[in-house]
Amino acid sequence: MSDVGQQRGVTATRAVVVTVAVVAVLLLGAAVGLLIRLPGSDGGAPAKDSVDVGFSQDMAAHHLQGVTMANLARDKSADTAIRQLAFDIESTQQEQVGRMKGWLSLWGMPEQSPDGTHMAWMEESSSHAHGSAEATGGVDLMPGMATSAELSKLRSLSGTEFDVYFLQLMLRHHQGGAPMAQYGATHASLAVVRTLADNMLKSQTSESEYMKQLLTARGAGPLP
Amino acid sequence: MTSGKKTKAARSSVAAARSSVVTKKSKPWGTIIAVVAVLALAGSVFGYAYSKISEKNAKEAALAQWVPSDTNKDPSDKIQGVVKKEYPAGKHVQPTQRVAYDLTPPYGGPHDSTWASCMGVVYTKAVRTENMVHSLEHGAVWIAYNPDQVSGEALDKLKSRADGQQFTMLSPYPGLDKPISLQSWGHQLKVDSADDERIDQFVKSLRRNQYTYPEVGASCDSSTFDVDNPPAFVAEKPGTDAVPMDGGVVDNQETGNTASVNPSAPATTGSAAPSTQPSS
Repeated sequence: MSDVGQQRGVTATRAVVVTVAVVAVLLLGAAVGLLIRLPGSDGGAPAKDSVDVGFSQDMAAHHLQGVTMANLARDKSADTAIRQLAFDIESTQQEQVGRMKGWLSLWGMPEQSPDGTHMAWMEESSSHAHGSAEATGGVDLMPGMATSAELSKLRSLSGTEFDVYFLQLMLRHHQGGAPMAQYGATHASLAVVRTLADNMLKSQTSESEYMKQLLTARGAGPLP
Repeated sequence: MTSGKKTKAARSSVAAARSSVVTKKSKPWGTIIAVVAVLALAGSVFGYAYSKISEKNAKEAALAQWVPSDTNKDPSDKIQGVVKKEYPAGKHVQPTQRVAYDLTPPYGGPHDSTWASCMGVVYTKAVRTENMVHSLEHGAVWIAYNPDQVSGEALDKLKSRADGQQFTMLSPYPGLDKPISLQSWGHQLKVDSADDERIDQFVKSLRRNQYTYPEVGASCDSSTFDVDNPPAFVAEKPGTDAVPMDGGVVDNQETGNTASVNPSAPATTGSAAPSTQPSS
């Protein structure tokens, strides 16, 4: 009789312990499930603050200014080499902008940074160093971007003066975009984004060399 | 009697002993404490994760409500004060013509075939309305302000929203009935202050919103428009020779044909049908 009672007690205790263990594991599992998003669980769309989205939004805006300047050069320059270069830049970058905006559209993301600031997606490394709150934000003007005043000055010039200033602005524009392309090529989560970023980096690096030669041939150099 | 008493006492002592054994067996405090501790730990981990996630979701939902999507094509519907009107797209007038716009400032209707550059341009002088309306068709947001009512710090706040911000333009609009008026194709919002939070909501909801502007992918660069010396705003009311709202011509640039558009709706005003064909 006492053996049976003891047996019953042990069985009940075991049942409780096992139940609690199961509940605890389920709770922990649910918590992990909340915190970790499995890749592919949302159709592969990168998050709003991802490198993929930030790169696509900012590089599209960066490229579009390149298109603006190249369009000006095609309209205004009388120099065949400049017009050829401008056509190459304009058509290539416009097509690449279309790719990036197409991705953003598929991902359900805005075409351009909604708050008007840029580069926050590249602050990952520095925000870890700084620690905390200042990680957001970004900058108003991306590296290499011409200001409204510089664009106005470009429009006001003509002849060789125009050609030289166009080359100087476009060279700085390419060079400013290089770290963005570099970061996208190494940090984006999707291969298609990394591949395009890497391609931009390579083609713009050689184009930058060409523009330096064109500047030298016109007795000028890069902007200080 | 004594033996019965003894037996009873013995029995009760056995029962007591047994019950004490049972009590000891049924209350394993170590196990209970461990079980409660594990439950509490698991519960608090889950609670922490849950509260973090719901906080994040709430924040994202607040931001996402102004991002156009298949299920939320026009987020500006949730902005108090936005007025909407449908206009047919692609009807053009000549640089010498004026349009008898129905609203001030207009946000749709016939327009000049050259659009005002809208690559993040701050116009310091008022620009010809017929060019500005065309930019709306290309997905731009036009921030207009009354130059008599908006200046200094307030104007700087508007400039920061337009300068270098692609698909955005800012210009003074003399005689505007409110300090600030925002236009996108088919949409308008008038506000009193540059600090009004609806300004940013309007821009986020409608700038290059693929569901609300007619010519998806169209450019804000404008090679035939002089950004530094744009055609001037005309304050006088348009005369009787102005192109009516249902006028204008459809440019077919691919074939070079220029076809006259017959107003589909019966004209509500005017006895003489105004010529929609540009005089060359």
